[in-house]
Amino acid sequence: MTDAAPLLQVRDLKTHFTFRAPSTGVLPGPKRVLKAVDGVSFDLAEGEVLGIVGESGCGKSTVGRTLTKLEPATSGEALFRGRDILGLSAGAFRPLRREIQMIFQDPFASLNPRLTIEQTLAEPVRIHGLARTREEVRARISDTLVKVGLDPKVMTRYPHEFSGGQRQRIGIARVMIVEPRLVIADEAVSALDVSIQAQVLNLIKDLQRDSGISMLFISHDLGVVRHISDRVAVMYLGRIVETAPKAAIFEKPAHPYTRLLLASIPRIRPGRQPVVDLGEPASAASPPSGCAFHPRCPLATDICRSTRPDPVDLGNGRSSACHHAGQLLGEAA
Amino acid sequence: MTAILTMGRIFRGRWLATAGLCWLILVALAAIFAPLVAPYDPLEFDPLVRLSPPSQEHLFGTDHFGRDSFSRSLYGARMAIVIGFGSVVVALVAGGLAGMISAYFTRLGHVIMRIVDVLMAFPALLLALVLMTLLERSVVNTVIVIGIVYATTTARILFGMTLKLKGEVFVDAATCSGAGHASILFRHILPNLVSPLLVQASFIFAFAQLQAAALDFLGLGLPPEVPSWGNMLSESRIYVTRASWLLLFPGALIILSVFSMNLVGDALRDSIDPRFRNDIKGV
Ligand SMILES: Nc1ncnc2c1ncn2[C@@H]1O[C@H](COP(=O)(O)OP(=O)(O)OP(=O)(O)O)[C@@H](O)[C@H]1O
Ligand code: SF4
Ligand SMILES: [Mg+2]
Repeated sequence: MTDAAPLLQVRDLKTHFTFRAPSTGVLPGPKRVLKAVDGVSFDLAEGEVLGIVGESGCGKSTVGRTLTKLEPATSGEALFRGRDILGLSAGAFRPLRREIQMIFQDPFASLNPRLTIEQTLAEPVRIHGLARTREEVRARISDTLVKVGLDPKVMTRYPHEFSGGQRQRIGIARVMIVEPRLVIADEAVSALDVSIQAQVLNLIKDLQRDSGISMLFISHDLGVVRHISDRVAVMYLGRIVETAPKAAIFEKPAHPYTRLLLASIPRIRPGRQPVVDLGEPASAASPPSGCAFHPRCPLATDICRSTRPDPVDLGNGRSSACHHAGQLLGEAA
Repeated sequence: MTAILTMGRIFRGRWLATAGLCWLILVALAAIFAPLVAPYDPLEFDPLVRLSPPSQEHLFGTDHFGRDSFSRSLYGARMAIVIGFGSVVVALVAGGLAGMISAYFTRLGHVIMRIVDVLMAFPALLLALVLMTLLERSVVNTVIVIGIVYATTTARILFGMTLKLKGEVFVDAATCSGAGHASILFRHILPNLVSPLLVQASFIFAFAQLQAAALDFLGLGLPPEVPSWGNMLSESRIYVTRASWLLLFPGALIILSVFSMNLVGDALRDSIDPRFRNDIKGV
């Protein structure tokens, strides 16, 4: 499954936001740069699901939004089938939008309240010329609605007539109708009731597997990521701190931050105390020196405070950006 | 059918607004059927009955040329509606486009909105006066000038609302589907602006009446031979002591109509999408 050349290669991706600090007097406030994504690299193979986890504000959504060009990248490249997409103009990127799709978090905000389901789903079909006549468009919409577990009759209705779970299925239909090769799912089930999260998650997983889609599954919920991913990347303050196959990362984390995240999921170790204090997250606006995680890290030493660790390949498809990764792995073994 | 249901919902329990709506329907009917209903030709002089008070033959009396005031009032309703609709169309199209485009293309928007700010610095009537002195007196020019005056407020309001809508997730979703700028603006954003635009239209309709009457009164609006309520007021102001009915009827018609339009506008505003309630408040 992972032998072929990667579908997507992200190299040193940076997305910085510039804004003005609030003014203190007559003069405008100074310019500030928020490094939401600050040097992210990863590969995504055909048919692979890479989970991206990390706490709120670490830049997960920004990675997804930059790769779909909803946010302009500051630097770096993203090779889709070997071709950089970040430098493409909106017009040149449009044909690729058919292949690169996004599932949004909020099923209530992501559908235009003034358009019927049919109008919403017909839009990408028309834009990408996937059907000629009205009947063909409608047939394609029907097929896709069935695929996501909805009755084709719903297409004449408006979004407010549906529940959150149904709306998310419509959002998934909008993505699937163009037969994408890469899907970026940003917190695709986080906004849903826990009771329907599993259904929608299984639907996404089934569709992904049946069509061999590559997927970037972004979530702060490790349980959800564990269910769906082949590999997992852990982000902290705009960088990936650890990447590993799913089984390895959950059994033997090679980064202290991953460890902390795992310990914060109550159901992983049923016997022990469930809540672990994650501590105060550092801010992306003023990241600490050296390893950004050092103020919260139990293993931090002098080198951590002065030198930023780069990701190091640890073999077996895993890498970790920690000066003491070796120590962690040895200890856990 | 749904339109009737929506109307029912908007006007339920609002007796004053409903009365206003009825009055406006009456005015519209008078305008449409003026040639059939009017007992006299509104332009025909009859020196024998100059300045006669209201009577059976002349319900609203006659003016200094002996023209029948009632017939002129009916034709005046036509002008009121032409001016109202015309100004609404000009204001909404020009102001709507300026506001939406400014919010969507922010760089260009900075320039456009500064121009709007300058125009808004003039009091509405003064701006209309200045523009009218540059143009000939005609129905079309009056409509254009009043439309431009209210295009400024429309642009401001739509600027704010478009800015808000532009950040909605469904706009990002449409972008991901491959939609271009035009499609995002007119297929995704515009339909969400319909109800605030309707509210805006009802107020512009009302204010346009006052503006037009004021311009007519100052001799800068419609050509004097056109029977409009404002012209009727203007021509008869010197007879106020001898023939007060000449001011009373057109004055009452203007006030009643403007008041009705404002009542209807209020009802529409209160029924609007809560997201926009703050944007539309100060209109
Ligand atoms: N358009 C923007 N302008 C300025 N700052 C932004 C913008 N978008 C995101 N940010 C900032 O960038 C940082 C990363 O945001 P991002 O939404 O990517 O985080 P996240 O990991 O997805 O968090 P969450 O789990 O809360 O969704 C945050 O500090 C956020 O405030
Ligand atoms: S580099 Fe140091 S501070 Fe950073 S995670 Fe590793 S041990 Fe902790
Ligand atoms: Mg996010």
